[in-house]
Amino acid sequence: MSTGKRRAGSVFSRTSAREDVDREIRAHLALRAEELERDGWGAEEAAVEAERVFGDRSAISDECRRVTESHDRSVRRMKMWGTVKYDVRYAVRTLLRSPGFTIAAVLTLAMGIGANAAIFSVVHSVLLKPLPYSDPEALVQVRETNNRGGAMAVAWPNFVDWREESRAFQGLVAYGVGSTTVLGADRPLSVSVASVSADFWSVFRVVPIAGRLTTAEDHGVDSPPTFVVGEAFWQRELAGAPLDQIILEVSGVRAPVVGVVPAGFDFPSGAEVWGPAEPSGNTSRTSHNWRVVGRLEPGTTLAVAEQEIDALTKVIVQREPDADPDFIAVGASLISLRQRLVGSTRTPLLLLFGAAGLVLLVACTNVASTLLARGMGRARELSIRASLGADRARIVRQLLTESLVLAVLGGGAGLALALGITRALRALSPAGLPRADEIGVDPLVLGFAGVIALGSTLIFGLVPALRLTRPDANGGLRSASRGNSLDHRGAIWKVLVGTEVAVALVLLTGSGLLVRSFQQLIDEDFGFDAYDVAAVPVALSQLKYESEYDHARLYARLIEELEAEPSIRSAGVLSTLPASGSLPNYRFELDGDVSKVTVGGYVVASAGAFEALDIPLLAGRLFDERDGPEAAHVAIVSESFANQTWPGENPIGRQVTGGGMDNFWEERRFAEVVGVVGDVRIRDVAQEAYPTLYFPYSQRPFRIQFGAQVVAEAEVGRGADIAGPLREALQRVDSDIPIEVTTQQEVVDDALASRRFMMLLLGGFSLVGLLLAGVGIYGVVAYSVARRTREMGIRVALGADPGSVGRMVIHASMRLVAGGVVVGLGGAILTSRILRSFLYGVSPGDPVTMIGVTAVLVGTALLASWLPARAGTRADPMVTMRAE
Amino acid sequence: MSDRPLDLIKGTLDVLILKTLGDGPLHGYGVSRSIRDRTLSDFKVEEGALYPALRRLEKRGYVEAEWGVTDTGREAKFYQLTSAGQAELESGVREWHRYVSAMARVLGRPAGV
Repeated sequence: MSTGKRRAGSVFSRTSAREDVDREIRAHLALRAEELERDGWGAEEAAVEAERVFGDRSAISDECRRVTESHDRSVRRMKMWGTVKYDVRYAVRTLLRSPGFTIAAVLTLAMGIGANAAIFSVVHSVLLKPLPYSDPEALVQVRETNNRGGAMAVAWPNFVDWREESRAFQGLVAYGVGSTTVLGADRPLSVSVASVSADFWSVFRVVPIAGRLTTAEDHGVDSPPTFVVGEAFWQRELAGAPLDQIILEVSGVRAPVVGVVPAGFDFPSGAEVWGPAEPSGNTSRTSHNWRVVGRLEPGTTLAVAEQEIDALTKVIVQREPDADPDFIAVGASLISLRQRLVGSTRTPLLLLFGAAGLVLLVACTNVASTLLARGMGRARELSIRASLGADRARIVRQLLTESLVLAVLGGGAGLALALGITRALRALSPAGLPRADEIGVDPLVLGFAGVIALGSTLIFGLVPALRLTRPDANGGLRSASRGNSLDHRGAIWKVLVGTEVAVALVLLTGSGLLVRSFQQLIDEDFGFDAYDVAAVPVALSQLKYESEYDHARLYARLIEELEAEPSIRSAGVLSTLPASGSLPNYRFELDGDVSKVTVGGYVVASAGAFEALDIPLLAGRLFDERDGPEAAHVAIVSESFANQTWPGENPIGRQVTGGGMDNFWEERRFAEVVGVVGDVRIRDVAQEAYPTLYFPYSQRPFRIQFGAQVVAEAEVGRGADIAGPLREALQRVDSDIPIEVTTQQEVVDDALASRRFMMLLLGGFSLVGLLLAGVGIYGVVAYSVARRTREMGIRVALGADPGSVGRMVIHASMRLVAGGVVVGLGGAILTSRILRSFLYGVSPGDPVTMIGVTAVLVGTALLASWLPARAGTRADPMVTMRAE
Repeated sequence: MSDRPLDLIKGTLDVLILKTLGDGPLHGYGVSRSIRDRTLSDFKVEEGALYPALRRLEKRGYVEAEWGVTDTGREAKFYQLTSAGQAELESGVREWHRYVSAMARVLGRPAGV
């Protein structure tokens, strides 16, 4: 029976089971009939008899087929898992044999995947995750539009009219927020407090974790005021005390805490105490002090609601007919709350995401070219496997399995890296980055990392795998031919090295521009000197100090105490710190003539504030003891205010008044300009200073009764010593002042934080890109040198200068780099335009940056080529020739 | 002994097949003929019933099958015992003997055996 066996059918084919069974039954019947015929049966009778004793043929055939088919399926599965297991084991063995390569590839991938997973986790928590409110998509912010087309905060009467007359909203709420003093806990606290209108909690649909939340009944004319606090504040500052035992004093209101909201609720951002905004005596439609959020009626679109509220606004502003046209709304606009909260971070985050993508591209290219180079070295192994009967698909699968193992290792390491990076990002993130505390690695981020790990496997694994197994690939499967060197091996290296170089250059240009911008910005004169200046936000109790002059007197005492300290050189008070980001602006009337008006920033200050901050006096004098409440009112103008208002004329002695925040506005009490000071960047350190007017706190203290900044400059060399005396002095004048000493430098750092964040991240990405590109070039050149050591050895042996041989290799590699540089510069010029809004003092195509980063890149490429080239030419020609 | 053919006790066909193949590779018809000859047609077995059993044994890895050609030049599928099949046969035989002797202890030995 061992003779003439042949293969028949295939376990892989589904139709074969039936055929196989039928064939076997036919064979049985034929043999049976044959035997019967030998016993003397007639052919026909024999066939019938064979059939009869066989039994129910179709039932038996079905049963056989069922058994065989299920058998085939399990065989197929086992075969597949068998090869996968084999491939993985083989891949792991192969990778373990070259640990240097494996570690480099895994680290490279880890950097690419880690950077992407980290940035994705930021994008996810900041931009993608829904806001943590019930049905957040229905929440919109309503803003007034001014006659210059800009959006403004809302005037209280307009809000009240909207709430009563609009149909598009389920509810509308107004709120304001600011840091102020909260008394009633163990110690005085400086806390972010929100004033909210009646329906605030029902519009946000918050459920309290203790007590109750305020409703319209708490906001009536005769309702006693109440506070609501956040869970974290309740635990941290009030020790979770029973609500009926807590009375807080905030901004002159003493009231019980009636409810606690869960820690997840963070609106307005940072608020920890919420008090009633109503009833409100606010009647001016030109004081834009409120933010308004509405919840759209189900089925109402943003566009429809906007149309309605815009039309309504045009009607209600007529109710204040003689309002200043520059300060009254001409309409209203809507923006989704999500857009409002995270809109400004969108561009920078997507930009960083793009940069991380580029890093991944370099990483993949890098691994691809290394795999390719390594694969060329393995041509013998591959051709042996091919000659042993492995088909191309089988070998491609084997090579891809290797890539996959790399991707899994790289992905794992990348995730570990991402965990570290996100932790650092949370710490580094500027205060302006919303929802930063939510940043973290969650299942979606894991999934994302998995997808990019697998996706990049395809990119970096498939190309070399196909390339290496191409039957005509320069010897490819057939022989391990020599001579795959850089210069004549053509396109694939050009593409790989060129891509790395080009992408690295794009990244470097972007970060170079940001670094130069940052440099320019911190070298800029902001108009003040933050060095050794401490700052303390102070908000005095409204109950203890009734009139604004009481506030002024306390500040005078405090300044006196501070200036008596030997470690303090000068001290003062002012309503708004330089670089703090906000500066109220008002209309000012000039020269005693109500028709002559100008617009400027409004600051209340003491003379010591100018001195402490080294804001230079350019003409006239600072405020002094002559400027008491009873004396003639005086003012100081900034240089740009003087130039804008009285171009070419002497500002000293001119008359000015204004500012909705002080009570001399109504009586048109003018102040005489007594001095001119240098411009100070208060609103935005990256923008020219806004023209600003300063009034003495002694005469117009209205603005500082809700909160002021006390500044103190240390004596030369005593910078470290002033916090203590500052605290003690504050404690002495009023023990109810929360003591939170910061420095002016911290204020400046905060103002620069988002730029710094962006610069550091992009800089980090581009350094990784540069490093990877360098490693990639090194790998390719080293491979090329290894392939050509014989040739180089002969050249050197024949008397060629080793240096010239090295130069030849470097020259070949730099030709590849040059192509990448040309493409990269083009790409950099195109993409750096996206950065325009992040630049300061440099243009997107800044030649200095371009030349600088190109030099850095070419230098790196030269080093990466020189190292392996030198190693190659130093090799002993005899040794290398024998090795062949 | 009655002339009525016996129903095969469940599971015994497998052992019969394995035992038959224990003497060497054989095609399905050969197995069927061998069982028929050796049992002197005591068992009422349709010849076709053999085939699902053979395929189940193949699935369990006790036999391997391959197409070949018979001595008379006809094609047939040949079955061969695997080492797992050899082990299964031995344990099947052991179990059968235990079964028989247990039954015999109760029922007594048949006359003439």
